[in-house]
Amino acid sequence: MKALVLFAHPCEESFSASLHNVVVETLQGRGWEVDDCDLNAEGFSPVLTAAERRAYHEVGVNAAPVQGYVDRLRAAEALVLVFPVWNFGFPAILKGFFDRVFLPGVSFRLEDGDVKPNLTHIRKLVAVTTYGGTRLRALMAGDPPRHVVKRAVWHVCRPEKMRYLALYDMNRVTDDQRRRYLGAVQREMEAL
Amino acid sequence: MRALVVYCHPRPASFNAAVRDLVLAKLQAAGAEVRLCDLYARGFDPRLTDAELAGYLDCPGNQAPVSEEVADIRWCDTLIFVYPTWWYGLPAMLKGWLDRVLLPDVAFLMPDGANKVIRPGLHHITRLGVFTTCGASWWLTRIIGAPGRRTLLRGVGFLLKPGKKAVFAAHYLMDSSTPESRARHLARVAARMDRLVGRRGAVEMERVGT
Repeated sequence: MKALVLFAHPCEESFSASLHNVVVETLQGRGWEVDDCDLNAEGFSPVLTAAERRAYHEVGVNAAPVQGYVDRLRAAEALVLVFPVWNFGFPAILKGFFDRVFLPGVSFRLEDGDVKPNLTHIRKLVAVTTYGGTRLRALMAGDPPRHVVKRAVWHVCRPEKMRYLALYDMNRVTDDQRRRYLGAVQREMEAL
Repeated sequence: MRALVVYCHPRPASFNAAVRDLVLAKLQAAGAEVRLCDLYARGFDPRLTDAELAGYLDCPGNQAPVSEEVADIRWCDTLIFVYPTWWYGLPAMLKGWLDRVLLPDVAFLMPDGANKVIRPGLHHITRLGVFTTCGASWWLTRIIGAPGRRTLLRGVGFLLKPGKKAVFAAHYLMDSSTPESRARHLARVAARMDRLVGRRGAVEMERVGT
């Protein structure tokens, strides 16, 4: 079974990096074949170009600039997103992965104007994230990243299992809270 | 009035460029000083790097890599975004502008001894305009939860002056738009801009048109 892990934090000493390590190591320990995609380390460019925008709806041609990432996405039976929430959303580098790789003909098909799921080989979908603000603040802003994962990404995968794991108020959490969250993430990965 | 227009689209021929030009004309007619930040033209890099994040809380050193953008946001009292909605949200380019420019001590103040939570830092901005185009329908956008709209109107809006004026307009189902639907949308943008910057601009525009 193959899992694609998309990691979107540039600093190796960050708490996100610890979460990333726990995710990768636990999945490998459970027998998953992990494709560990560290977007910053791989130098992924999140900027959809004018040429890409022009060819966006030309299925077959549109994926060429990001073919390697498309192949990796198509091979995945589980998709795990590990990212911090910055300014009420994904870091730009992860948002750009959706802009450039989740293309028509890759993540969805348009049939009579309706969006049809095209990543149904992804049976498990997990987000592991941290918020600088409190849960209440995220709710007041409408929690955009949660909605994108649980509704938009969910909609193109239709997974049998979906988990959105979050630790809030990162500027004030204690070591103990961080440890417990790491433990919870590990248990979720063991049970995936 | 000092207006900063943050514009984000890779294609010069995009409908978003027409929206941008209308917004600029309305601002000019209202007598506003205007600065345009065209992110693609500027070649803005939306990636917050390891080095920037390591110095993230080091104020004001954290502003050095984006000093021009920081100067713009400190200068303006009116903030307007014109962009396409991709994957229900902001293009990565625009999301990266938020990540890199809305810094501690610029856009918000971090918790300290006297304050337990993050506090807004853009109280000098009293008007917010958000203009976008969506491939999805109004219904689908609402079902997903309108993440892009919420990121700017609520998330960024929270940082601005309480009681600010805010306007929003979106052209949905952009891929099946017609000349008529686009003209209707431009009229909607014009009306929202009149509400945002006052009628003075509107009256002058009408005189120019007659």
